[in-house]
Amino acid sequence: MHLPILMSFLVNVAAIFSVTANAQEHPDHNHHAEHQHTMGVDPTQAQPAEQNHDNDDESLDTHSAAPASKTTANTAALTRTEDIDTALSAGGEPIVADVLGVVCDFCALAMNKIFSKRGEVAAIYVDLDTKTLNLVLIPGATLSDGRIAELAIQAGYRVAGIRRGTEALGRTS
Amino acid sequence: MRLALVVALVTATSISSLKAWSRPVSYAGGWTIIEESDRQASSALIHYTPSPNWSAGIRTEVNRDADYAIYSIHPTFLAKRWFGADYQGNFYIHGGAGVATGINDNPLGDELATYGGVMADWETRTLFIGYRNRYLNSGHFGDQFMQAVRAGFAPYKGDSGDLHTWLMLEIDHRPKDGEPMTATPLIRLFKGPLLLEAGYNLTVNQPLFNFTYRF
Repeated sequence: MHLPILMSFLVNVAAIFSVTANAQEHPDHNHHAEHQHTMGVDPTQAQPAEQNHDNDDESLDTHSAAPASKTTANTAALTRTEDIDTALSAGGEPIVADVLGVVCDFCALAMNKIFSKRGEVAAIYVDLDTKTLNLVLIPGATLSDGRIAELAIQAGYRVAGIRRGTEALGRTS
Repeated sequence: MRLALVVALVTATSISSLKAWSRPVSYAGGWTIIEESDRQASSALIHYTPSPNWSAGIRTEVNRDADYAIYSIHPTFLAKRWFGADYQGNFYIHGGAGVATGINDNPLGDELATYGGVMADWETRTLFIGYRNRYLNSGHFGDQFMQAVRAGFAPYKGDSGDLHTWLMLEIDHRPKDGEPMTATPLIRLFKGPLLLEAGYNLTVNQPLFNFTYRF
């Protein structure tokens, strides 16, 4: 009868370590409440890189990873968090992807896990209110629309549209 | 028995559970621990998701009523996912095969156990409805069919990283049981990688406590 107790202890310790590691890896996730849904542009932010589509769509599996459309009715601007603002200030390109099916926190977790592993990504926030994946790349890095769509599929979801640069920030031109 | 030991390690705190109501297939590369507890059995599953279409894991299930345990390999296939800007629907096929063995002085020996079923759910940020079923054949330990529906709502919309709260009602049906149909109201809380459910089966007066951790 002691074995189940021991096993329970081991599982709980493993879980605690994993939670701690995750929190250290994504400290911004603990500060989500600070985000603002900014439709305008903060003039204090650094200018994003010009649109930099590398369009190197990779071979895709049976799922079509191409975004359903380049433009959608959703025009939500980049959701601002502390990490996203920091990455913008460093000159990273902002990207807003409209994502279908993101209705719960497990969805957000999946997107966070998949995209935060990418070296091109400096900051990420999944906004359930606007149903968007918000990314800021590290300065000089590129991430094609096709790759973003493919990564969304790896997370279990679909991208409906992608906006970059000034459009992602809410500017009309 | 090595498999049994490994699965038992996962079972650990087998007082709790999470029905596969909550995304039995994770993101590619993700691991999930799911514990389940119902009026008849407690179980635990750890699975790995190599692609967003399927997961595979090891599962242990302890049938408290009949004093036997099942140690099994448990794959789940996401057969179809429907996407919308405001909803998501899923249809899963799940199953498993392993060994059933007597516990708690049950003298019955090892037996092949197989099971399978389907699950479906539809969810928005404030509404949830789901169905699942399973047929289990565990040889001389018997066979059983069960099915359940669950419906719930979220009183508020939590955003990414917030504490999400759901109020739900689960109705389960087991034709061979003395109480073939029972009702369990429950509360679901989840935040980040953790999901907890607590409820109480009003028909047979048993608590429910479910747990999922995704990493």
